[in-house]
Amino acid sequence: MDHQAHRKIPERVKLAREALANCNLCPRQCGVDRTAGQKGYCGIDDTVRCFREMLYCGEENELNPSHQIHFAGCNLRCEFCILSEWNEQPMAAKEIDFDDMAGKIIDRWSKGAKTLNVLGGEPAVNLHGVLELLGRVKPEIKVVWNSNMYYNEIVDKLITGLIDVYLADFKCGNNRCAEDLLGANDYMEIVKENILRAVNRADVIIRHVIMPGHSQCCLKPILTWLADKLPDVKLSLRDNYVPPVQVASAPSGYLTQEEMQKAVGLAKSMGLNLIK
Amino acid sequence: MKKAPYKRKPGDLEIRILKNGKVVMVAPDETLVKIAQVVDPEHCATQHNTETKENARRQKGESH
Repeated sequence: MDHQAHRKIPERVKLAREALANCNLCPRQCGVDRTAGQKGYCGIDDTVRCFREMLYCGEENELNPSHQIHFAGCNLRCEFCILSEWNEQPMAAKEIDFDDMAGKIIDRWSKGAKTLNVLGGEPAVNLHGVLELLGRVKPEIKVVWNSNMYYNEIVDKLITGLIDVYLADFKCGNNRCAEDLLGANDYMEIVKENILRAVNRADVIIRHVIMPGHSQCCLKPILTWLADKLPDVKLSLRDNYVPPVQVASAPSGYLTQEEMQKAVGLAKSMGLNLIK
Repeated sequence: MKKAPYKRKPGDLEIRILKNGKVVMVAPDETLVKIAQVVDPEHCATQHNTETKENARRQKGESH
């Protein structure tokens, strides 16, 4: 974290809290008053809730072991979400005790955590909570913003300087798939804009979970865009797509090794900066 | 009539055993990850132990 930005966290928490009174943190633009207990698309009021914190070694190698803090509430409804039960009922998660969580961060750090990984749900809809937490830890901690990147500019402004790595989940390569699978028909424009902002702020890793049967419509357009706009950005292609038990639009099978090899081959042929 | 599959609720854990024998832990928590590391250490390798000493030294250094 940038020390100057770290010192300004109390002001930023205040601004983030004020924004909740007419919540437009994300493109859903719900406009609800979360400070009065109203809930928008993300399903949470102004309380900050965490459903899991753990030391995890399954992120990209340079981030591991990573101390994950899962904030409840999400602004996408990915059909294949592996934590959908929490996104549907975010208020079922326990409210965060910030002092207690700050203690856990120190503990995880002593047990080998290399990064502090804020994720969800979606951290953007918990902006005030993420800031509150970052204000209680040392600026030396390396912070990973593990996000779907579907948020409005105010989020970018208030996290600038506090994030060391943007782990940007680029899920779909066109708005039709995004509407069907994520419930967001303006996904592409928003995510691209936020990724382009992020590369001016800190290190960025673009993560794409390859979906079976979506190489032409999703994988290829994402890789093509990256090759054009951000050829040097770190790209992580993941093979861990898990099909939902009941499928509507999402792929119903697991990724094959052949599909993975083709995806990696395509990325390499475009000269992209693949990481593991 | 086909019954709808069980839908996970907050707090549930899900382990799938696929036809090809592969075991999939869906969004494993820390306990499941530890189990996976015991069952299949090759694919669940962790830098944890080697990092711990380094971090302990870092933290000690910062406190002085």
